[in-house]
Amino acid sequence: MKKYLQVLKITFQQEFAYRLNFIMWRVRNVMQIFLLFFLWTSVFSDPARQFFGYDRSKILTYVFGILVIKAIVFSSRTIELSRIISDGTLALYLLKPINFFKYWFTADVASKILNLSFSLVESILLFLILKPELFFQSNPIYLLLFFISLVIAVFLFFAIVFLINMFSFWAPEVGWALPFLFIVIIGDFLSGSVFPLDIFSESAQNIFYSLPFPYLVFFPLQVYLGKISIPTVINGMFISFGWLIVLWFSMKYVWEKGMKKFSSEGI
Amino acid sequence: MKKKIKKYFKVWWLLSRNSFMSMLSNRLGSIFFLLGKLIRFFIYLVFIVILLKGTNSLAGYSLNQTVFFYLTFNLIDICSQFLFREVYRFRPQIVEGSFDLVLSKPINALFRSLLGGADVLDFFTIPPLIIAMIFVSRGLNPGFFSVILYMLLVINSLVISAAFHIFVLSLGIVTLEVDHTVLIYRDLANLGKFPIDIYREPLKGFLTFIIPIGTMMTFPAKALMNLVTVNTVLISFLIGGLFMFLSIKFWKFALTKYSSASS
Repeated sequence: MKKYLQVLKITFQQEFAYRLNFIMWRVRNVMQIFLLFFLWTSVFSDPARQFFGYDRSKILTYVFGILVIKAIVFSSRTIELSRIISDGTLALYLLKPINFFKYWFTADVASKILNLSFSLVESILLFLILKPELFFQSNPIYLLLFFISLVIAVFLFFAIVFLINMFSFWAPEVGWALPFLFIVIIGDFLSGSVFPLDIFSESAQNIFYSLPFPYLVFFPLQVYLGKISIPTVINGMFISFGWLIVLWFSMKYVWEKGMKKFSSEGI
Repeated sequence: MKKKIKKYFKVWWLLSRNSFMSMLSNRLGSIFFLLGKLIRFFIYLVFIVILLKGTNSLAGYSLNQTVFFYLTFNLIDICSQFLFREVYRFRPQIVEGSFDLVLSKPINALFRSLLGGADVLDFFTIPPLIIAMIFVSRGLNPGFFSVILYMLLVINSLVISAAFHIFVLSLGIVTLEVDHTVLIYRDLANLGKFPIDIYREPLKGFLTFIIPIGTMMTFPAKALMNLVTVNTVLISFLIGGLFMFLSIKFWKFALTKYSSASS
């Protein structure tokens, strides 16, 4: 445990060593929220209007929720895995007396804590500047389920990112390509972090819900907003947990296969 | 002058050809990159269609108009990336000091840093985009004069975009930071995906005059829809000229700060 606390500390120090990078990254997150906020404010210019099952306060809560949930779920250091496999520095990690999976998960946690702290400050500032009407969930059951769905989302994201970054074992020159596609398609769209997925038809939503991606952002936000009934929430949790098990075992399996393929010339 | 333009075109052609060759050596990566861009484009398009089918209008614009704004944004964005891709490769030259080699060559250093190596991948997406724009614009019934004005304003947008990229390069020399600055520019430009009218004041004014994303992305499409006044058009060209003038001044200032570190 002590070892991982040190990893946590070191990751914090690394993030602070590149302060400008980190601040720029946060500025970019806030700007993305600006676009969504004003887009939806324009759509809901009449406060009494309802679209796609959302009223003005719920959709603006969704937009603010994206900022916070992305900080919790999508903040990750594991995205570096592809690079360390490609350039062979993975060998240095393998020599350390530390569990490789736990090492990266701990580094992710440090990144999440830091990003969450900043996103909370940003949300408060944006709230004071933009003065949006927000929806605050008061039902403790929904809050508890929201918390559980977030925990599942964090582990799910870790497993997905770990898995796609291992593509570098087989194609080190283009190891970045699959994570790039993942960020563009899943990170942005299929997770619901650009727009809510329930604007699509029911059949499209059924397809989305059978995949692991909506459980990263869209599903936790639906739970927070109380937009789905408790049995539907439980059902969604079973599906996401099922995906977590499948992806977790796949991650371990691909890792073992990848280790047989790995070589690190010149390190 | 004619000879000089011919020389620079030849250099640009050579550099772009090299850039294309380098892309071919990494075919799988290029395919993934292009695929990602296309998927992002189509998903946003689907989103706009679904949104406007549900709401009928966005800030007073119809579905056809909103799609045209989005396509114009993409045209300007893609053309900028096609032309100014070299900016994304500028930082290592400054950090490693290899920018010395650019300065010592008998060619304008700004030309080399800004336009040296067009992104052919982006070029492939321009013709289908223009076809889509022609198809959508037919529903907007533009007049001949509106089409000419639209084209002139798109060129003006590219001038503003070039000015932004020159600012990024100059800041890179002064602060050694390029990657994030250029991405912040991209995020700012993304605010022009939708008509600038969706923003509230003072942000709307800020995005029109201070960081002229509105002038870049919204005004050309508005001109095609016959929704701009003569004053708006004049101000757009004035902003374009002013931005280019200031960016070149800043570039010249930045060059005096270049210290040739590590070389």
